[in-house]
Amino acid sequence: MNPVFLTLAPALLAPGVGAKRVREVGPWLLLGVAAAQAALAIVVAFTAGGTDRIAGGYLTTDPTARLFLVLIDVIYLGICGYVWNRDRAAPSLHDAVSRYARFSLVFMAAANVVVLSNHLLLSWVALETTTLAAAPLILVDDLAASRRASFRYFLFSSVGLALALLGFACLARGFEADGLEPTFFLDELAKVTHATPNLWRRMGVALVLLGFGTKLGLAPMYTWLPETYDEAPPAATALLAAVQFNCALVCLLRVLQTFRGAERTLVTNELLVIGLVSMAISTVSVIATRNYKRLIAYASINHAGVIAIGLGIGKGATYGVLLYAVSNAFIKASLFLTAGKIQTHYGTKDTREVAGLIKDLPYSGVFLMVGTFALLGFPPFGSFVGELLVLSELVRAKQMIIFVAFCTLIAATFVATGRTVFPMIWGMPKRAVTWPRQTLAEAAPKAAFLVALVVMGVYMPPAVNVLFRAVAASLGGE
Amino acid sequence: MTGILIAFLVVLVVPLFVGTWRTSFLGLSLQGFLLSWIAFRHGAHLSAELVVEVVDLVVLRAVAAPLLLRRVLTHQNAPPNNQVLAPNLFSWAMALALALVAFLAADQLVPAEGDAQLLVAVSTAALLLGLLVLATRGGHLSQMIGALRIENAIALFELGSVKHPSLGIRIGQVLVTAGSIAAYRWYLQHLAPDESLPALTDSERAPT
Repeated sequence: MNPVFLTLAPALLAPGVGAKRVREVGPWLLLGVAAAQAALAIVVAFTAGGTDRIAGGYLTTDPTARLFLVLIDVIYLGICGYVWNRDRAAPSLHDAVSRYARFSLVFMAAANVVVLSNHLLLSWVALETTTLAAAPLILVDDLAASRRASFRYFLFSSVGLALALLGFACLARGFEADGLEPTFFLDELAKVTHATPNLWRRMGVALVLLGFGTKLGLAPMYTWLPETYDEAPPAATALLAAVQFNCALVCLLRVLQTFRGAERTLVTNELLVIGLVSMAISTVSVIATRNYKRLIAYASINHAGVIAIGLGIGKGATYGVLLYAVSNAFIKASLFLTAGKIQTHYGTKDTREVAGLIKDLPYSGVFLMVGTFALLGFPPFGSFVGELLVLSELVRAKQMIIFVAFCTLIAATFVATGRTVFPMIWGMPKRAVTWPRQTLAEAAPKAAFLVALVVMGVYMPPAVNVLFRAVAASLGGE
Repeated sequence: MTGILIAFLVVLVVPLFVGTWRTSFLGLSLQGFLLSWIAFRHGAHLSAELVVEVVDLVVLRAVAAPLLLRRVLTHQNAPPNNQVLAPNLFSWAMALALALVAFLAADQLVPAEGDAQLLVAVSTAALLLGLLVLATRGGHLSQMIGALRIENAIALFELGSVKHPSLGIRIGQVLVTAGSIAAYRWYLQHLAPDESLPALTDSERAPT
């Protein structure tokens, strides 16, 4: 049996691992399944052939699939490490952890299908399944605010994905209009999309961008994101921000890989405008907020904006976009899990109520500090290199207005974030508190994320770099 | 097919101007039945594909979605009024303008006059009116109705396509539709009517 099929195993294991009968050992089982998944993803990524067609052509192991399969499964392992630690620290969370195991394993099986899919409609069905599995994860103790956040998430996701589905239908109409046999298999599409896109196909790609843009938190349909990331438990937020975000990104990359074959500038202007508007909204929101979870959520909108601009400008920026997207998955997972730890101890999300973290919670203080520097695109992190490549391509393409706006917004975000976060880390503690000592096991998942970030900025292992380059080339990158 | 499409347009527009949730659900149900009529107007042979289409269009869209949501509201003794569109001249003018834009867009997309052009026009109008409901109404019931209208619009648009996805994918799509309807029912049961207010701002929620 092809090992790729084993990536679907979490869905089969979900009822067993998440059963209440085994809730005492549930976190261990969850961690074990996640570790096996991550190991399997690494094996598939570095041993699978070039662009194998699997399951009648519905799945593929092309470089895009392999790169993002490793990313999401490794991040899920880290998140499960956090869940395992939380369960050890607070046994009252057994039931919540069982519930998390049930839904998150279904979510991950569907997420694996999204990245491995070679068929547009299959990836759509799988992405919808991740949405259906994630919506219950947002609920916290049946709180009204979390119910509302869950509903808003579900509604926006459904509408966004409905628009993407409409986009696929328009793409099919585009083929019919050209007298071609419509297909949704990506490798077959790549062979027949050399003709200049007609109106249907242009509209289809634009609708797909709008639809998946909603899942990425891009303007104009971004309002679900801050509320959802704020209200969801940290493990669910990390899952949405680091895993589902990349699943939606893969879907968008697939469409751009396929339909930009004949016209490299297809939806360039749309991507640039949506990216800049998203960055502007994010900057204003970062300046205004006094809630550290929301601040990270608004920064996620900023990241989506940078990615959209990078994809819009293409060429040399493409490699940078991939580096930036992968780096930000680690940054967001690390920061949201750290935010969860801070919220657990201080009982508030208000930045003004948290100070002197570096003394109170040394590990969390360090993670927040390093994560914030990575978030802001400082060296030596992969996000710095990625952002630099996008900026240099903007200059090379003589897009000076966008370059100036980009730099201004990034600078304003930097000042606003530093003004809010740095007092949390180094400020004078407002009340004398003694916390239980943080263990190394608690810090391990977040530390591993930060190590991955530094590695991507300092020394990219050749085997991983090959994947990055192959994906960039498939997007028309240099 | 022209008559069915005109009927679809009527059940699309009328509930916007009659401000009760019963009318909205009746409209959704009729949309489902009209979609089925369009899909099966040439007759059909018994096959797995036919069963899946019947489940999608008749069972889920025409019956289950409106009925399940209606039962929740009946059980909650919800007041009969629910404006899916703000009852003012501006909103009504906007709705009519969007319907007009849909027909003009269809002229561009399908130059040849006929059923194909009318189908694109009606489905585009359904989509735009659904988006208008979502954009202008904050209540969760109105937003659910808006989302379901959009899903029906896309189903109508897909009926005009020559190529249909494989059976496995269609089953996946139908399961997603069923899951979405179940989720909407759960939210309608568990979101209190006053939770349709806009989200709290940072200053309202912090510090706690």
